[in-house]
Amino acid sequence: MSSNDRPPYVESTIIMTTVRFVAPFVLTLGLFIMFHGAESAGGGFQGGVVVGTVILMLAFAFGIEAVRAWLNPTAILGLIASGVLVFLAIGFGSVALDGAFLEYHAYEQLGIHHASGYGIELVELGIGAIVTGVIIGLFFVISAGFDPAEGEEEDLL
Amino acid sequence: MTLTLLEAAILLFVIGSAVTAALLRDVLGSIIAFAGYSLGIAILWVYLQAPDVALTEAAVGAGVMTLLFLLTLVRTVRPPSDELLESVGWRGATAGGALAAALLTTVPSLPAIGDPDAPVVAGEVTQYYLDNAYGETEVENVVTAVLAAYRGFDTLGEAVVVFAAGVAVLVVLRQGEFV
Amino acid sequence: MIEDLLLTRYNYVVVVLLLGIGTYMLIENSNLVKKVIGMNVFQTGIFLFFITSAYVEGGAPPVVEHGGHGSTYVSPLPHVLILTAIVVGVSLTAVALALVVRIYAEYGTLDENVLREVRADE
Repeated sequence: MSSNDRPPYVESTIIMTTVRFVAPFVLTLGLFIMFHGAESAGGGFQGGVVVGTVILMLAFAFGIEAVRAWLNPTAILGLIASGVLVFLAIGFGSVALDGAFLEYHAYEQLGIHHASGYGIELVELGIGAIVTGVIIGLFFVISAGFDPAEGEEEDLL
Repeated sequence: MTLTLLEAAILLFVIGSAVTAALLRDVLGSIIAFAGYSLGIAILWVYLQAPDVALTEAAVGAGVMTLLFLLTLVRTVRPPSDELLESVGWRGATAGGALAAALLTTVPSLPAIGDPDAPVVAGEVTQYYLDNAYGETEVENVVTAVLAAYRGFDTLGEAVVVFAAGVAVLVVLRQGEFV
Repeated sequence: MIEDLLLTRYNYVVVVLLLGIGTYMLIENSNLVKKVIGMNVFQTGIFLFFITSAYVEGGAPPVVEHGGHGSTYVSPLPHVLILTAIVVGVSLTAVALALVVRIYAEYGTLDENVLREVRADE
């Protein structure tokens, strides 16, 4: 019954083909949910999770290490950081314009119509970026596990 | 809302898969039962008219969470199991049963499901959001309006919690990069 | 009485059962991964309580079409709270699982009882 008896995962043509076919649609759905959160069910949290699962799906079909090598670590970190920055910029931007934190109507004095709608949309995109990045990050960090040798070296330092 | 047959079936499925997850000796079986449980819960959200929550639950509960559990199993150990089920322990059964019994006595005092006069539905806050969300925020989805505008500061806190969780995992597993 | 309870407050009865099952798993399952699953079952029990309290007979999802006065909608506030709670829940689970991986790396076991013995020997 132990997992060691079974042969290691060999790339399965069926899974790979299915994922290759489905992935673009799931990505589109995730982005749609994220962008369309104002008019229908959806938003940053929901869309971000769906977009994150696309990468997880790829990793399960093509091997975690292969996808890890393909992904750019700076891009993931940048995704998370830009999400936080967009949220904070919009929040404190209205403070700079003599409004309260996240008071979207403060932006209307800059001549932006429907500032509230656009502001909420941007904040949702920021949340989506954070959630997507963190979900991908959590997956790869846990899959890497803990290397005791590395840890002891750090202890000595 | 009266109980329809389909809803009763979903509720039974949810409880059944939760019990299965609790009693299966094999951890992998338990994880699969939990994935089914999450999917049942997601369908339940659709019945309760909460599409936003259903979307998230389906992607997070049945998708991401199951993957994380499976990865943990790969990184640790799947204990060999000769028997299918665990024997019911009296300590947990007593504690769980006592909690359930105590909470069950409060259920008759709750408003009936779908009661239009229930405090949550008829309350001032709910009515304010429903009446003014579109006018004040120009967003049709009231859930989004509350999330990003009325409770925006709260949501910033939630985003920080998610980010902090990512950092905490990095620290616990002593790694320097997400990917 | 019991019939009335099951026909009009069935979701709340399920909430109570799920909380009971979650508590049982947290106490009785000695495997740490199963304890984390139990934590999630307990959590979804509470989610079900909130979303059920938001439901109203004949209510539509809270997407108002240009103001949408006059029609019935379910309450949006519990949805928002639970939405964020689910995402925080997955973060919580991830941290718990990372700790589980770390515990296994340090002690070579995930069984609560064995772990207690190993800790006592140290």
